[in-house]
Amino acid sequence: MPLDVARHPLVVVVGSGGVGKTTLAAALGTLSAADGHDTLVMTFDPSHRLKDALGVGDAARDAVARVPLAAAGRLDASLLDAKSTFDRLVARYAPDEESRRRILENRYYDRLAGRLSGVLEYMAVERLFEVTRSGGYARVVLDTPPTRQALDFLEAPERITGFIESEGVRIATRDWFDASGRLKAATRLGAVGRGIEAWLDRIVGLDFLREMAEFFQAFGPLYDGFRERAHEVRRLLRDEGTLFVLVAGPGEEATADTLYFARRLLEAGHRLGPVIVNRVHPQSGGRGRAREEQPPGAALLHWLGERDARGVTDLRRLLAGRPLATLPLLAAEPSGCDELAALGRLLRSRLTAL
Amino acid sequence: MSSAPLAAKSLLVVTGKGGVGKSVIAAALARVLADAGRRVLVLESDPRESQHVLLGCEPSGGGVVTAAPGLFVQNVDPYAAIEERVREQVKVAALSRRICRSEAFRTFVAGAPGLSDVAVLGHALRLVAGAARGAPRVDTVILDAPATGHGVSLLEAPALVADVVGGGPFGELARDVAEYVADEERAALVAVTTAEEMPVDELLELCAALRAGVGRPPALVAVNALYPPWPGDDAPPGPHAELWRRRRAVNDRELARVRRARPGVIAELPLLALARGPALVAALAEALRPHAGGGREGRD
Ligand SMILES: Nc1ncnc2c1ncn2[C@@H]1O[C@H](COP(=O)(O)OP(=O)(O)OP(=O)(O)O)[C@@H](O)[C@H]1O
Ligand SMILES: [Mg+2]
Repeated sequence: MPLDVARHPLVVVVGSGGVGKTTLAAALGTLSAADGHDTLVMTFDPSHRLKDALGVGDAARDAVARVPLAAAGRLDASLLDAKSTFDRLVARYAPDEESRRRILENRYYDRLAGRLSGVLEYMAVERLFEVTRSGGYARVVLDTPPTRQALDFLEAPERITGFIESEGVRIATRDWFDASGRLKAATRLGAVGRGIEAWLDRIVGLDFLREMAEFFQAFGPLYDGFRERAHEVRRLLRDEGTLFVLVAGPGEEATADTLYFARRLLEAGHRLGPVIVNRVHPQSGGRGRAREEQPPGAALLHWLGERDARGVTDLRRLLAGRPLATLPLLAAEPSGCDELAALGRLLRSRLTAL
Repeated sequence: MSSAPLAAKSLLVVTGKGGVGKSVIAAALARVLADAGRRVLVLESDPRESQHVLLGCEPSGGGVVTAAPGLFVQNVDPYAAIEERVREQVKVAALSRRICRSEAFRTFVAGAPGLSDVAVLGHALRLVAGAARGAPRVDTVILDAPATGHGVSLLEAPALVADVVGGGPFGELARDVAEYVADEERAALVAVTTAEEMPVDELLELCAALRAGVGRPPALVAVNALYPPWPGDDAPPGPHAELWRRRRAVNDRELARVRRARPGVIAELPLLALARGPALVAALAEALRPHAGGGREGRD
């Protein structure tokens, strides 16, 4: 069951933090480049050495870099930066210079654009939209953010539109304050209104509310664009051509996380491809010497090998017939182009065997 | 180190990349401090509770549970912590419920980044001050926060919120928290990492950011899950000798990078053939004890 590029032009790599998503996304990228397809790998948090190998170091932040790989197809890599994607978006979608300036100069925007919860995820979705629209690649491999709830990323489009359409934003974008900086409702409602103003002030502080309102108001003109693109991306993520590769940690304790991811993906209507259990310790086989007689490292590796084998067996049973491939714990993390390509070949042989 | 030993602080914030062992180390530190006579509470802020498995007690479900004499666990939902603050301000229960359920308020909470971090830290301060409702008095709170991608953000949150929120109780809370976290006599950061490239990359970024921000590195860096030292020529020819040798070589290389960053104290902790649970925690507590600077009977 190799990953067929014609059938799946978009591959999304998901899984819990620290399981090796970024490395496997890069390895998958080398694979499809080796097959002669022009490929883009979009990553989030590569290690410094992996960044160097891919050529997406800080100088190339948010730009697309050519990976120096001897392959039939081209391999490009990009590293996502939430703030600059956000800036670009504002520049593009603000209807006029005035609203653009209003956003970019908002104190909030400056401090928070890259940090608002969900922004990184949403920006990834935006970038994905841009890239697939441009049509420059036969395949895009998308790594997902390093957060525990990596799947939140997939719901970013829904969340952002839900948020925009929510009562909260409608309220926030209303003109709350009059020219003298008093709550409008308060002036209108007299004593009662001033009572409301007083407790709002007590809870959140009116200054803060004022800043928030201004922030959301500044975004008003962008909302339609956001909503439209969010719907597009939502469709793209559920398209027949989009395949999810789920990367799992080894060992029994990772099983619950893996099943959770698989269930959420399926429930959300995504296409779940192979599950890859990564960094599996090899089994020693045989009895060998009694545990006490073994040197500590050998005993430990034996224990880890057994633990991971049990984990894989469990997972295989619980995934009930879904394709599952394992990748061994390598002696060192692959970080050069050659090592990535070698990992890609290993991955291919494991997937083909399914 | 110039400041008080770890065992004498009242707030320990445990951070690190996903899956490196934050929760296990938080639990082990709690054991060490409790053994030294401190009253300790592990404050877990992760919807998926794991401290009860590690310390062998009931799941918290939001309340405070006792794991051992003088050792407590609480799982805190940030939104609940925020709601509690509102309740205190508004006093009339029905009204505060209405406010908290109103979409305007939810938008405020969701839209103001860092607010939930501040609320969780604020709750920790209350516990230390003995001012949290229904909670026992404790000497130390150990905060086991979920991986955020970057540990720095948790510590930056208070100053950020204080700056943008300005006045009001949340602004004041943020300022209090920021001040407390910056005080090295009372609060310390414990950074957990494995001796692998990516977690160490992140640790070094954290150390640099801390030096630039609060002016000091983490008080303790726990380098977790180390393969046993390679015995060299005495090594057995077994099937996985090569894997052992090379994984340990990676560990050594990364340990050297950690040392070059000169954090306060480095604790090297072994990868153990034990499943997640109290036995693993007990074994790691033994390895951590010499680094906590408390001494078994020393009540500071
Ligand atoms: N020194 C160790 N030896 C053996 N196993 C360990 C060790 N440290 C951690 N583990 C195991 O590694 C796994 C992850 O540990 P833990 O849950 O503490 O990580 P975490 O950093 O809190 O993860 P998360 O980011 O998901 O909260 C657990 O299954 C734990 O039992
Ligand atoms: Mg944890």
